Amino acid sequence: MPKEKILHGVPASKGVAVGKAFIYEIKKTEIFQTPILSVYLKDEVSRFEKAVEKTREELKKIKEQINREIGEDFGQFLNAQIMMLEDETIIESVKQRIFNEKKNVEYIYNEVISEYAKKLGESKNAYFKERVVDIYDVGERVLKNLLGVSHTSVLEAPPGSIIVARDIPPSEATLINPKNVVGIAMELGGRTSHTAITARAFEIPAILGIGEFINKVQNGDDIIVDGERGIVIIHPGSGRISFYEEQKKKTQQIAKALLPACELSPETRDGKRIDISANIEFFAEVDHAVKYGAVGIGLFRTEFLYLARRGSPSEEEQFKVYNALAKKVRPHPVIIRTYDLGGDKIFSDYHEANPFLGWRAIRVCLQETDFFKTQIRAILRASVNKNIKIMFPMISTYEEIKRVKLIFNEVKQELKSKKIEFDDSIQLGIMVETPSAALMGPLLAPEVDFFSIGSNDLTQYTLAVDRGNERISQLFDHFHPAVLKLIKETITAGHNGNIWVGLCGELAGDPLAIPLLVGLGIDELSMSPSSIPKAKLVLRTLTIAHCQEIAQETLNFRTALEVKKFLNRVVRKKFPGIEDLMK
Amino acid sequence: MIKETITILNENGLHALPASRFVKLAEKFKSRVELIKDGVKVNGKSIMGILTLACEKGAKVILVCNGEDEKEAFNALRQILEGQD
Repeated sequence: MPKEKILHGVPASKGVAVGKAFIYEIKKTEIFQTPILSVYLKDEVSRFEKAVEKTREELKKIKEQINREIGEDFGQFLNAQIMMLEDETIIESVKQRIFNEKKNVEYIYNEVISEYAKKLGESKNAYFKERVVDIYDVGERVLKNLLGVSHTSVLEAPPGSIIVARDIPPSEATLINPKNVVGIAMELGGRTSHTAITARAFEIPAILGIGEFINKVQNGDDIIVDGERGIVIIHPGSGRISFYEEQKKKTQQIAKALLPACELSPETRDGKRIDISANIEFFAEVDHAVKYGAVGIGLFRTEFLYLARRGSPSEEEQFKVYNALAKKVRPHPVIIRTYDLGGDKIFSDYHEANPFLGWRAIRVCLQETDFFKTQIRAILRASVNKNIKIMFPMISTYEEIKRVKLIFNEVKQELKSKKIEFDDSIQLGIMVETPSAALMGPLLAPEVDFFSIGSNDLTQYTLAVDRGNERISQLFDHFHPAVLKLIKETITAGHNGNIWVGLCGELAGDPLAIPLLVGLGIDELSMSPSSIPKAKLVLRTLTIAHCQEIAQETLNFRTALEVKKFLNRVVRKKFPGIEDLMK
Repeated sequence: MIKETITILNENGLHALPASRFVKLAEKFKSRVELIKDGVKVNGKSIMGILTLACEKGAKVILVCNGEDEKEAFNALRQILEGQD
């Protein structure tokens, strides 16, 4: 029995899982060359035809699954692969060469695919160049089917599986079945990889970027994924397993105990209502949001639409997703945030020394205005459902919001002139996530309909801390007095300008922060769906007057630690047993 | 059989989207479709074939359609090459 070993990685999705290893491996197929007797050449051709047919079925299945789970049309990129698979030139040349060279089909097919991949790679056209990946992908699939090597797919993971992989390609990540897969441990990947996003969407604990380890694991081995501590334990001892089983049981009990709270109305004991809504990034997550009792979607991240496909999604593709989302959430509101990624994701593969201070989010949109208008048009068209609000990220200057509004109104005019319907009174808001925006609150408020404080980025930019950097991540604390002061200023500025102010960072779902934020006058809290029941329970123990006292006192402290100690005392006194829920 | 020289007028040449549109459309016809450029002949129902021709804007290609629906095929495909579809 191999010894227990603890591996560290990036905690990409929270929670704890105990399960059996399911190894997902992309094996490179071994191609051999062998002469074939003339009488058997026909059989080679028919083997080839069958393999093509089988591959076509596989690709269609994956495409349908992606369309169903991510959004209609998002599996379209697989069309390019199907087209290459069925390409007459390739098929004819394979058949002809089998007869001419009298060699096995695997060898011939591999030669032909490599030849065309080379041609594609030499093309001056970027679109064709990018298809090299696709042609190799298709080629691998066909060769696997020819050789009878079963193509491992995450789809085959049995119940209770923890997927162990070097890397999971995007098309495969979307096939992860949350009913069977309880955890993910991967050698490569980070917080923004497809696998991470899928894992978070389905609440599957995941540790990525572990480094080489899968050669130490076999299918069916016991394995533990601890998304809270950022570790994976391979070959765990029985004591370790029972500890984690116990912890899992406790978590489930808490979740069960919290279930009735989902139905509660989000209000303080003295009847002040705070809208508690959900942050989501997938259409499929709406179900979670509803299950946990969200009053609408406070943040719909649109990044996945850009990452899930290659290149930027068309207006029509986006419209379909926004429209379906709005219909499903109605009558509650949906706040759609525009593109919030680095420009490198869409426009080039350049690298920035300092991406968080670089060309990203609104800064990209204001330069690439056609790209920006496409998204605005799609959102406006979906606004006919009357429950959409639009939100712009990463505003740091007054000019930016002025320019955003100019472009926004241009698109509105354009739609009007084309007689395309939209909600003309759609609310327009900004994320307050840079210290400059927070300090400029009184000047920005008259320009918009709402503020949503992005507490994660606001903390990062205020404290100048990259939380992904292990050596300094302990400096990242959203209870830092400087962050709290900016939050207070933002709320005050919003209310003085008669607009509502929400908060959509992790702080919103932190039970400790809720009395403070309510005391500061927050109108809306948007959080990950699973945090909602806890937040409602805490909220319902509070009164406005008491929260205001708490807020007043909190702002006098000098350190984040003092703030947390104080809030801990307050919340515990108001709500005995809360610590059980805060694990 | 219809055979005629056509100048590519599509802004980006016969690339990416127009090429795949061309193939998809060509597949709808029963006729055999071929493109010839600089003496190289390729199957018009194959994206790989068309790619090897590397048709930039202004290039001259011969479009050949041969079969029962050659007339319809020729007229429809010509529009893609000329960038008018």
